[in-house]
Amino acid sequence: MAELAIETEKLVKTYGRNRGLTGLDLRVEPGEVYGFLGPNGAGKSTTIRLLLDLIRPTSGRVSVLGADPRRDGVALRRRIGYLAGDFVVDGRQTARELLTYLGNLRGGVSRARIEELAARLDLDLGRRIKGLSKGNRQKVGVVQAFMHQPELLILDEPTSGLDPFLQQEFLSLVREARADGRTVFMSSHVMSEVQQTADRVGFIREGRLVTVARVEELREQAVRKVEIHFDDPVSEAEFRDLPGVSEVTVTGTTLRCRLDGRADALVKAAAGHTVVGLLSEEPDLEELFFGYYSREEGTRVAA
Amino acid sequence: MLLRDPFTKALHDARRSLLGWTVAIVAVGAMYASFWPTVQTPEMKEALAAYPEGVLEAFNYSDLTTAAGYLGSAVYGLLVPLLVAVFAIAAGTRAVAGDEEAGTLDLVLAHPVSRARLALLRFAAVAAGIVAVAVLLGLVMVALSGPAQFDGIGAGGFAAMTVHLTLFGLTFAALAFAVGAATGRRAAALGAGAAVAVLGYLANSVFPQVEGLAWAREVSPFHWYLGGSPLVDGVQPAGALLLLGATVLLVAAGTAAFTRRDVAV
Repeated sequence: MAELAIETEKLVKTYGRNRGLTGLDLRVEPGEVYGFLGPNGAGKSTTIRLLLDLIRPTSGRVSVLGADPRRDGVALRRRIGYLAGDFVVDGRQTARELLTYLGNLRGGVSRARIEELAARLDLDLGRRIKGLSKGNRQKVGVVQAFMHQPELLILDEPTSGLDPFLQQEFLSLVREARADGRTVFMSSHVMSEVQQTADRVGFIREGRLVTVARVEELREQAVRKVEIHFDDPVSEAEFRDLPGVSEVTVTGTTLRCRLDGRADALVKAAAGHTVVGLLSEEPDLEELFFGYYSREEGTRVAA
Repeated sequence: MLLRDPFTKALHDARRSLLGWTVAIVAVGAMYASFWPTVQTPEMKEALAAYPEGVLEAFNYSDLTTAAGYLGSAVYGLLVPLLVAVFAIAAGTRAVAGDEEAGTLDLVLAHPVSRARLALLRFAAVAAGIVAVAVLLGLVMVALSGPAQFDGIGAGGFAAMTVHLTLFGLTFAALAFAVGAATGRRAAALGAGAAVAVLGYLANSVFPQVEGLAWAREVSPFHWYLGGSPLVDGVQPAGALLLLGATVLLVAAGTAAFTRRDVAV
């Protein structure tokens, strides 16, 4: 079995009044895109800072690409690309100067590679960073994280501040990285930011991992609202007892219902009639994400 | 290429401030030095004689009858070391604590650079700036020797003074660097540097005038720097070694503490 890209065991970090992490067990497979979800203050950034050896664990074990961030930090960070949500740098330099310097710290990144990424994100490399808008500044961050084609990308709330066009471009960079076999570890406090690319999502709250789910499975479990338009009026009874279908209402030729899980039974039943139109809402995974939270809350109160 | 590593990058980033400080310190030094012919006039001598000895001593004006005495007091004894100390403290603070408080240290540390290497290269850049200031000032003094009639001081004397001034600046840079690297706090680094500069100055020039406080001079970086007239008698091993030792210890301790602690968000 291949080595895990990121593995933490009973990871605890307490500092000051903050609880930080209270026993995080994280397992990120190589080659996957892992969405690290949680509300603000749950410990996402603390985890990421531990992976990068910016801070040191109170107890527990961390392993990144098979190495110890503390002991083999320099060699390890050569293989990592990191982007913080609030990308701050000295604004008196131009983007090109900064990227050249950061590339040199990594042993040199070709000018062509930097130019290519900048062109793709529509970033003007010649401008001083302090003159750039927040979105453009974030582009500089995206370039420096991806430019050396690292084995592992650690992205802390990466798309905050990016406009929709850039979010799409960013997501395609993430997809390309995965297609190349790279691992992406991406934190966010909103599901919509990660659900398009992530293979798995882990939910962290109050410093520990609450649950891990495959996005595909979440989609399957997700409840979606379905609307079917038929040529002729249909009867409610025909659809009421189908597996996964609930809240069926029929008004004339239109059927509306909630669909829980697979669509198979409903589609097959509908196929007995002439279907004019079919509308299925993209499931709200966010709702499910909060569903996990409240369920967790419930068991804790019970205990 | 100035963007090659943290050392050249730090110099590149500090280029404007370095230029400003160099011009200011060299200009102040040159200005005071060029007053020397005027100070020798009988009127000036009379005026200075009217001051109580304690006041003159407080300003490090010990002996104004020779060029070496005047330069050691007016140029190398007061304004220049104070300016160099301020410059060194500011630069030493910026090396780690300033960058950290600005939130820009994370990015560099997420790159394949060890903390010790980063801290030491940044201090080396600060040191290079201090050497540049002291050497330029020394060269200007040598150039002024003829026109301003600095009789009795050779290039060797200025070289020795330059060594002392450099080590003096390094000590203050190392102090601010060490406190900043250990705590990550700008205010702490600036405060420590300023406190030692003020107390050190008083311990050298004012406290010894009080009965029983003569020993205070021995622990003052100002005394290590000025004691024994380097302009006339060359490098003073005791003072130079104390300054050098303090610098090395502070840089080592600050770097060690930096590699062990958490970097602030």
